[in-house]
Amino acid sequence: MSTLANTIAVRASGVDMFFGTPDNQVVALKQADFEARRGELIMLVGPSGCGKTTLLSVIAGTLTPQAGTVEVFGQRLDGLGQEALTSFRRQHLGFVFQSFNLIPTLSVIENVMVPLLIQGRPYDEAHDRSAAIIEKVGLKGREEGRPNALSGGQQQRVAIARALVHEPPLLICDEPTSALDKDTGGHIMELVRDLSRSPERCVVVVTHDHRIFRFADRIAEMEDGRISRVVDDPKLLDTAHL
Amino acid sequence: MYRLALNMLFGDRAKLAMLLCGLAFSALLMAQQSSVFFGIMSWTYTPMVNIRAQVWVSDPMVEQVNDAKPLRDTDLSRVRSVDGVAWAAPLHTSFVQARMQDGNFKLITLVGIDADTFAGAPAVLTQGRIEDLRLPDTVIVDEWGASLMGRMGVGPDGKPRSTPLKVGDTFEINDIQARIVGICKVKRAFTGGPFVYTTYDRAKGYTLGARRTLSFMLVEPQKGVTPTELCGRIERETGLKAWTSDTVIWNWGERSLARNTFWWFWTNTGIPFSFGTAVLLGLFVGIAISGQTFYSFVLENLKYFAAIKAMGAGMGVIARMLFVQAFTAGLIGFGLGAGMAQGIGRAMIEKGMPPFVMYPQILWATFVLVLGISFVSAIIGIIKVSRVDAASVFRG
Repeated sequence: MSTLANTIAVRASGVDMFFGTPDNQVVALKQADFEARRGELIMLVGPSGCGKTTLLSVIAGTLTPQAGTVEVFGQRLDGLGQEALTSFRRQHLGFVFQSFNLIPTLSVIENVMVPLLIQGRPYDEAHDRSAAIIEKVGLKGREEGRPNALSGGQQQRVAIARALVHEPPLLICDEPTSALDKDTGGHIMELVRDLSRSPERCVVVVTHDHRIFRFADRIAEMEDGRISRVVDDPKLLDTAHL
Repeated sequence: MYRLALNMLFGDRAKLAMLLCGLAFSALLMAQQSSVFFGIMSWTYTPMVNIRAQVWVSDPMVEQVNDAKPLRDTDLSRVRSVDGVAWAAPLHTSFVQARMQDGNFKLITLVGIDADTFAGAPAVLTQGRIEDLRLPDTVIVDEWGASLMGRMGVGPDGKPRSTPLKVGDTFEINDIQARIVGICKVKRAFTGGPFVYTTYDRAKGYTLGARRTLSFMLVEPQKGVTPTELCGRIERETGLKAWTSDTVIWNWGERSLARNTFWWFWTNTGIPFSFGTAVLLGLFVGIAISGQTFYSFVLENLKYFAAIKAMGAGMGVIARMLFVQAFTAGLIGFGLGAGMAQGIGRAMIEKGMPPFVMYPQILWATFVLVLGISFVSAIIGIIKVSRVDAASVFRG
């Protein structure tokens, strides 16, 4: 039991999440249960509106559920205040967004430095660590350029570098390949898998893109605000409705 | 983060230019209009600057230096008898019409000073000697007046041109000849007329029909007696009003005639309202342009601020980033605006019109107001960002 508990990176139990007024309520999550293990890359899939992004936001601590418990790397999030949640995200989470969210007026390296500077690291240290990870994602020489001068794939590489530069235990990826073509998407997922593969790290990817399912260790399928099933082999999924 | 905040600001050059234009224009308008206002107001007590004396004595009903109420000549003796008075000299000031040789008339400020002591004489003569005022029918005209009252002629290019009056030229005051024996340098006055100095007795002759011609008395305190102290004694013993001659606006005392003149114009004319409106306009334009531009800068960066929030930056960090951006823009905008105001001021001072006095306090006040505009702009941005949900970054 203790061994199993140690392997769990993320656990959400009985999570309810509603939006809107009591008269006009939209149920996003209903008694949702979810588990992700340390060292794995798990994908959350399902049709639009099934609650994937809401569950991701709850796990990331940017939304607080109305009911249920959320535990990330042993830390209960459901009882934390905004300040503690912000601090938790700062230390434990890395984000890769669908639309990259790279700040266009900053250089590539400055974008990558953001999480370290938010942590209060000195500028020079942040600069050196960012340069090292930019090299790892294959963009050496592009540090001083602006993100807009890069291709979509290159921009997503910068976003991955930014998500991992502060070595967070949990990497959250929201539709990381939806803005990329098949080959570029494949390369990006290889990069995510290679760079994030660590026994102490967990990667949660929300996606519609069945072309990247092969990169997952497990896939959790969502339906109507809850996890309907979890599979180890993507072939077991019926992707027609995803 | 602050370095990145600045890079975000400087990275969007179009927005930055717009923001700086708004702030600089606002600073320019506030500093320039305030300086012209204080310049004009400094003209109101010009006689205090041009006619130098430590203590001025006037009729008790006098409220300001341009509104002389004639005294009796015997008052001079009464003032001279007050303990602590080293000397007292008569002074005549009035506005009279001078007739030029070409038949044209000009309104002048006639100043009659004591021929024995020359108390109240101009400090700087560019031509002639003050002693020549003792010669018959003589006057000293100020430099600007000499050119204003100059002879109209035709220049080498065939266009009409005025030749400034010079020593030896003549004009008439109430049909009595006035011969110029000197040209002096004095500060221009609110009333606009040239300063024409003559002796007190001759001034009486120029103002035919006036029963009383003693406008003020210029008094020097004895050693060890302060002007303020002497003013008190004169008022107690003669019932007249005595004033000190402090003209430094930030330093004048209760008894300053310049101060009273300043506030008389402040309360009895529309000048403060007019310039105050312009200064307020500068402030509102600054808030409107800068606030709007900064808001649009924040709006454009909203999703990035949301991402930064999601990554774990608290509102405190983001608020400080926005303050750094707004205050940096404010500092640069103030620098540009104040620099332009100084440049315009220098050009104005060279031309002499309109008057321009930029006190350091004006710059400080403008600086504070521009920072106020930046503060308002930052607050608008902070309110917007604080309402952004960090979870919104996951909504595409």
